[in-house]
Amino acid sequence: MAVSACFARTLRALSVTLRVSPQVARQLNAGSSYRSGRLPCLTPSACVHTGIIHCTNTPNITVTDEPDALYQTVDVLVKGHDRAVLDSYEFFATLAAQELGIPVRKVSEPKKKIERMTLLKSVHIFKKHRVQYEMRTHYRCIQLAHVTGSTAQAYLEYVQRNLPEGVAMEVTKTELVKIPEHILKPMWDIPPLEEQPSQ
Amino acid sequence: MAASTASTAVSSLCRKSHNLKGFQILNQVCTRMTYSTALSVKTGHSKKGFELGIRGPPSRRPKREGGEPRTEKMAEDQDWSSVYPTAAPFKYSAVPLPVRMGYPVKRGVPPDKRGNLELIKIPNFLHLTPAAIKKHCEALKTFCTDWPQALDSDDKCEEFFPIRVQSSDYVSAGTSLRNPKARVVTLTVKLSSLNLDEHARKKLIKLVGERYSKETDMLTLTTDRCPLRKQNYDYAMYLLTVLYHESWKTEVWENEKTRADMEEYSWEESRSQRNALDTLMRMRGGEGGGVDTGVVRADLLGSAEVQQYRDSVSRIKNEGESESSMLQYRDAVKKLLNLSPCDE
Repeated sequence: MAVSACFARTLRALSVTLRVSPQVARQLNAGSSYRSGRLPCLTPSACVHTGIIHCTNTPNITVTDEPDALYQTVDVLVKGHDRAVLDSYEFFATLAAQELGIPVRKVSEPKKKIERMTLLKSVHIFKKHRVQYEMRTHYRCIQLAHVTGSTAQAYLEYVQRNLPEGVAMEVTKTELVKIPEHILKPMWDIPPLEEQPSQ
Repeated sequence: MAASTASTAVSSLCRKSHNLKGFQILNQVCTRMTYSTALSVKTGHSKKGFELGIRGPPSRRPKREGGEPRTEKMAEDQDWSSVYPTAAPFKYSAVPLPVRMGYPVKRGVPPDKRGNLELIKIPNFLHLTPAAIKKHCEALKTFCTDWPQALDSDDKCEEFFPIRVQSSDYVSAGTSLRNPKARVVTLTVKLSSLNLDEHARKKLIKLVGERYSKETDMLTLTTDRCPLRKQNYDYAMYLLTVLYHESWKTEVWENEKTRADMEEYSWEESRSQRNALDTLMRMRGGEGGGVDTGVVRADLLGSAEVQQYRDSVSRIKNEGESESSMLQYRDAVKKLLNLSPCDE
């Protein structure tokens, strides 16, 4: 209950910072009683609430006439230094997708990348003595198919809010768009021209 | 003497208790003082050293004993999401699992969870148990919409929504939230789904150049010249509109199209046709002369061997050389020149 209120309060504000698709079919207006000065500041890093929210009325969901966006695929690629953390995160993301009714097409693990560097061990001279470091980046790709815009917005915000520390995410969305009306027919009056033979 | 030291020790204890936050501690100290003054003096002194007496460092607070850990009082069917409602560091006294983590030094065992920094460092998912995830998703379901039933297959999606627009979002920790790669928009569309005639199609392919892929019949427009994603999307749609309408136009200079500009090879009026017909005419001319050359040419063009030869040459030029196309050409040439087929 507290979680839903937290979402309700900051969903619209975060949609700008998280760069989610602007076509929102469902906007929500939290009750005006929540807009007090005691609310945490609206940046994603500071949004872990510590207080108890006393909410009695549920947020109002408005449905607009704007058509919902349709995404053929939503690819969520997570990158991290620890494979165990990514395993747990994958379990969380797939379970969340199943609960929300989003079909998970594929969960793959692209090959890890190791960046190695060889540096001088000492601040001054001693060229023969070096030290080697490496940075390992593990990947996990979760592909969701046939997601609507508002579902994608809710799911992605939920999943991004619970991203553990030290893990980065890239989301690639493939949206389905109709051919706009001005491309259906040419705007010039084309006289019926016969096919010219190759000359 | 003992009483006086006891009283001063107790008073010093009292002064310290004001600094301590928490009413309970003050109560505890007072109760201790009420019931057994002698005991409290002993505990007070044992920490500092009896010989120092009250002249020990005043900043040292008496060490409180911790109570029993919360794990002892937990029921097995408790609501775990109230213990860890949000992401929080690992608290050994609040997690009732016998977790061990760390390197086993000297062939021992991994260290216990009490005071284990490794368990605190690694991100934990204790706030995201399946029960908690289900609760969250129940609350989120009100914001979700269903996928339309009619679009259950990819073909139907392709039929009604031929244009695909790809864009990316990036989430990472850093000094800035923004990622400059987030403004890139890629628009892909199959040309067969646009309303184009032959001339318009060829002109569009010439206009876009490398952005068209012949194998998949896909036009790909990638825009990143504007600072915002919405602007790049609008620009991509504008580009598509302009390309479409421009390709339907026929300019005056387009009728100067030469053979080198053609997209496909056509056999009519080509050198191959001329050579083939000349060869055949000379072969025929030896047999009977005085016939009108135009009629002869028309006859030759209509004959089946010449048609086959035309198909094989066009295939090689358009599709490239391959095993089957070369064999077809060989057969056509043999038939054309009346060479006997050798059985191998």
